[in-house]
Amino acid sequence: MQQSLASRLRANAHWYLFVAPALLLLLAFMGFPLYRSLELSFFEWKGLLPRKWVGLQNFEKLFADRYFWNALSHTVIFAISATVGTVGIGFLLAVAISRRVPLHGLYRFAFYLPVMLPMTVVAALWARIYEPNFGLLNTTLETIGLGFLAQTWLGSLDLALPSVIAVCIWQYAGFPMIVLLAAIEGIPEELHQAATLDGVSEPERMRYLIIPMIWPVLVSISVVQLIFSLKVFDLVWVMTKGGPAESSAVLGTYLYRRAFEQQEYGYASAVAVAMFAVIFTVTYLYNRLSKVDSVEY
Amino acid sequence: MSTDAAAGPSPFRWSLLGRIAVTALLLIWLVVQVYPIIFLFNTSLKSDPEILSAPFSFPFPPQFSNYVAVIDGGRTNQSILVYLFNSVVVTVGTLALLLLVSSLAGYALARGKFPGSAAAQQFFLLALAVPVHVLLIPIYFFFGELGLRNNLLGLILLYATLGLPFTTILMRSYFLSFPRELEEAARIDGCSRFGTFWRVVLPVSRGALSSMAIINIGWVWSELFFGLVLLDKLGFRTLPLAIAAYKPSSMAQQTAVGELFAIMSLTVLPMILFYFVFQKQIRKGMTAGAVK
Repeated sequence: MQQSLASRLRANAHWYLFVAPALLLLLAFMGFPLYRSLELSFFEWKGLLPRKWVGLQNFEKLFADRYFWNALSHTVIFAISATVGTVGIGFLLAVAISRRVPLHGLYRFAFYLPVMLPMTVVAALWARIYEPNFGLLNTTLETIGLGFLAQTWLGSLDLALPSVIAVCIWQYAGFPMIVLLAAIEGIPEELHQAATLDGVSEPERMRYLIIPMIWPVLVSISVVQLIFSLKVFDLVWVMTKGGPAESSAVLGTYLYRRAFEQQEYGYASAVAVAMFAVIFTVTYLYNRLSKVDSVEY
Repeated sequence: MSTDAAAGPSPFRWSLLGRIAVTALLLIWLVVQVYPIIFLFNTSLKSDPEILSAPFSFPFPPQFSNYVAVIDGGRTNQSILVYLFNSVVVTVGTLALLLLVSSLAGYALARGKFPGSAAAQQFFLLALAVPVHVLLIPIYFFFGELGLRNNLLGLILLYATLGLPFTTILMRSYFLSFPRELEEAARIDGCSRFGTFWRVVLPVSRGALSSMAIINIGWVWSELFFGLVLLDKLGFRTLPLAIAAYKPSSMAQQTAVGELFAIMSLTVLPMILFYFVFQKQIRKGMTAGAVK
């Protein structure tokens, strides 16, 4: 048995060389830092002085930290609203385009365009559009006689987070649209013709033919968007830095500020570990259930 | 896609009022989606007083003074061309390394039944679920120890690693459906495993490789989270950092709005041109990457 394992290893030596670069990179720049992050979450450390073992104190502090719960709830609100918004709008657009409404070719092209833009640019651009005095949004509202709707947007405690979420939906609705459109166009044409012969209306066609046929893809893309939005950082960082008064802080920005503005690396690692626990669980379960490793295309 | 309206799906059937409503909503969404992008380029071609007094006007004649100013780099002591160069180096380097390493690993996972191959497969699935945020603090200190801070090679190694799990898994599924006959012919001719891979398999896999490049180019070009902490010296920064450095304060107080818009336009332009040229491949690639 020993012999046969050794000879099997030797016979397969080339395969180990094929996988080695990938495994080395992952171990060095993902596995090792992950381990160090878990380790650091048990220490108090300001970066320069020797670090001090504090056991689970960082986590006790975390559970009592109002700002942590605040950031966690904003992250969940952000992820759910952005998912519902992008998948909802994306689905309706995909149905319209698949039904060959006038200009559908233009829509297919144009509605994916924002997805291609770097998120930092989108964030900085919308920060200018939301700017209260000279920004495009308030100027437009005043020009069309709706000046009473003008707001301070990103400067408002109540509107900062929704304003950032709206930008996320603006940028990413095109992504589920393209994915769902491909799924809808895979529905056999005979089913569409049968529905047409039965004289169904467009809402009925959507409800009884399209949605059931693409349900698995609809679920998939929703989970993909959810996981993606839980990791939000760029949009919030460039638009509000989590402000005003932490009203739009998410886990990513909270972690960043605790670590790199307040130099509380141990405590920030505890935030990172909590974030890891939430996202890792959701993602891993989804990958297992959806069998991401058995895709064929 | 290739079918025209007559040969395509059953005709859109709705009342006249319904059609008008749908058309109106779609046109409004079209304006909402496209106008901000036009506004971006418009504004980059105007002077600062014009930006504040006439936000909607088209720039006639267009003024390139903002572009001249950011290329000159007087305000930030750094020409934007340096940022652009860094971004190009990092993006090209990351994609090259990522495609090479992930296709090697994906090929072994698809073809090899060796002791540990199932564990390796699991390892990639686990790595896929790791949110990169948890790596930020250790990477910052680790890269400091390795001398990889303010180092474009460091950024390339990191970004390639972050893209690896997903890209490797997709490459593996591609190689699973790759016909074995070609490889067997080469093996009979005396090619080694690596020789077969390099001279026979990779050249015919250009389509899959470009899909992988398409899936990854966007996030690499825009990466901000790690860039913010790893590149604190001016000469090493990438384009997203140039944008993030402008604080979103009141526009009346600042005088460099036009320059910011010029930098944003320069960052966006390569992506938009890329989309114009490869739109079909991009939409196909992103769909393949997303639908499980």
